[in-house]
Amino acid sequence: MTDYDPTETPALELQHVRIVHRAGRPDEVVALRGIDLAVPAGQLVTVVGSNGAGKSSMIQVVSGAVRPASGRVRIGGRDVTRRPDWRRAGDVARVFDDPRKGTAPELSVEDNLALALRRGGRRRLWPAVTPRRRVLMREQLARLGLGLEDRLHEEVGSLSAGQRQSITMIMAALGAPRVLLLDEHLAALDPATARRVLDLTAELARDLGSATVMVTHNMEHALELGDRLLVMGGGRVVADLPRALTRAMAPADVVEVLVSSGESVSDRSLLAATEAGES
Amino acid sequence: MSGLLTDTLITGLPLVPVYLGVYLVLRIREDFDLTVEGSFALGGGVCAVLIAHGHGPWLALLAAVVSGVAAGVVTACLNLTLDIPVVLAGLVTSLALFSVTLRITGQPTVSLVGADTVATSLFGEAGRGDAQQIAVLAVVVALVLVAFAAFLMTELGLALRASGVNAEMVRAQGVSERGLVVLSLALSNGLTGLGAALAVQTMGYADVNMGVGTFVAGVGAVLLGVLVFRPTGSQVARIVLAVLVGTLLYRFLLVGALRIGVPAGDLKGITALTLVIAVAAQRFARIGLTALTRPTSSTSASVQTPEGTPT
Ligand SMILES: Nc1ncnc2c1ncn2[C@@H]1O[C@H](COP(=O)(O)OP(=O)(O)OP(=O)(O)O)[C@@H](O)[C@H]1O
Ligand SMILES: [Mg+2]
Repeated sequence: MTDYDPTETPALELQHVRIVHRAGRPDEVVALRGIDLAVPAGQLVTVVGSNGAGKSSMIQVVSGAVRPASGRVRIGGRDVTRRPDWRRAGDVARVFDDPRKGTAPELSVEDNLALALRRGGRRRLWPAVTPRRRVLMREQLARLGLGLEDRLHEEVGSLSAGQRQSITMIMAALGAPRVLLLDEHLAALDPATARRVLDLTAELARDLGSATVMVTHNMEHALELGDRLLVMGGGRVVADLPRALTRAMAPADVVEVLVSSGESVSDRSLLAATEAGES
Repeated sequence: MSGLLTDTLITGLPLVPVYLGVYLVLRIREDFDLTVEGSFALGGGVCAVLIAHGHGPWLALLAAVVSGVAAGVVTACLNLTLDIPVVLAGLVTSLALFSVTLRITGQPTVSLVGADTVATSLFGEAGRGDAQQIAVLAVVVALVLVAFAAFLMTELGLALRASGVNAEMVRAQGVSERGLVVLSLALSNGLTGLGAALAVQTMGYADVNMGVGTFVAGVGAVLLGVLVFRPTGSQVARIVLAVLVGTLLYRFLLVGALRIGVPAGDLKGITALTLVIAVAAQRFARIGLTALTRPTSSTSASVQTPEGTPT
């Protein structure tokens, strides 16, 4: 696979990031216990780990939805730790696990795409949808092969979950983000649709050259797509495996890593994932 | 019948900008802004005082818009700095505005009988005729509707349209929720000020209580319009048409009620009834109206990230 120059500034960097939810209260939860991570531009990192391992917390600290108790977040070398999520949006695109979250259901397909076209830029008093932009939108939608390029005026709310998630992927790619965050973005899709959106994910991540972090419970997907595989557990990265190592691994081996790192064997979603992986 | 139409247009057209503002906050932002009750009286008062002091009717119109914008900004600041929900912030502002308006006008009612209006500035004394007044009002309202529709189609307007439905997604697209709160409240109350000034000039007087009931009447009119046109968030032309038709339909009902001998004191009751019937009809027609069926605690205050800081 691609070699990455260690002297180059990573597109995404986490330093000793700690997240504490409900800090100071008796029910406080430490979601991340000092994470260090550097992802170069163009690398796709897949993240696995049982429920509550801190995967979503890591995604949220990068997007700015959650602020760390301590530690730093850098994007393209710039410290963005104190920036709210909307001020990071020019650099960070995210696709949520819930297909309903990534789009505005009441608005048309073209309005949703137009919103993403200006991500991170100033919203001007200028028509949001212009003929030129429509051409670009059609072009991008045509990549999906779902015929959505002819349905620009339809409400997104009337589309299926898979179609909506595909549009969210296209929206994420439109602004050429430095960092692309995918948190179980295939979870709500049927296997065939998930396959299609997964292929699109691989294609977009390659074209964009962004640092991509993809959280998944599907070990097969994690092994197939990742240039690098992170195994998380208890708020830590318990294994950081380069492609050279994962190439020879089977889904069951990843589960083995999880289990040997002290993770609970009885975790249902993991067992389910293993079964799915071996079938 | 023609008298009925004339009255509907003369009393209804000035309210179109006001209810457009109500639509903006209620349907587009999915929030409740009661500031309009205060900014309607404020805009009317500012306009009346300026005209009474010999200033031009157009200048008075502009000043009313500015005063409305200021009122909206106050509510937005209460919401953003103190985390008071918009509903409550608007209530507080409109309460305070009663005193402010009274200070500005100096008396509960300012009469403008025989004073200049935008219509007389164009037509001379003939501008006091119904036809001339309606013509001027129609042109102003048409300009406002077109400008508003054009605004909604801009990048900024699009962000506004998306924000009510999916605030999280709009933040993920790099839009500041806080900026949108200020923008929507300033715009909606500016429109209210404009409508109030038009109303004052056609009625020939301003009253410190003229704003009472504006919000509920606006919701009723908006719901009527939505019932007829059913605009989605992307159908901008339908949105402004819904407000125009809803407003006129609602005024038509009120004027009609007066004509068949319903005492003026019962009009507020009819307004309330219109609202209830419109909501019932929405329910029946299964049109989602999230802002009315959703607990008010989920207004914009809770939509911000706890970690979000003013920038
Ligand atoms: N908003 C919150 N408030 C309180 N605790 C939270 C919050 N978000 C996450 N947590 C806690 O932080 C820990 C890590 O959660 P996180 O969502 O990051 O896990 P995850 O790895 O994404 O799990 P899953 O596979 O179930 O999505 C969990 O113990 C969770 O209960
Ligand atoms: Mg998660």
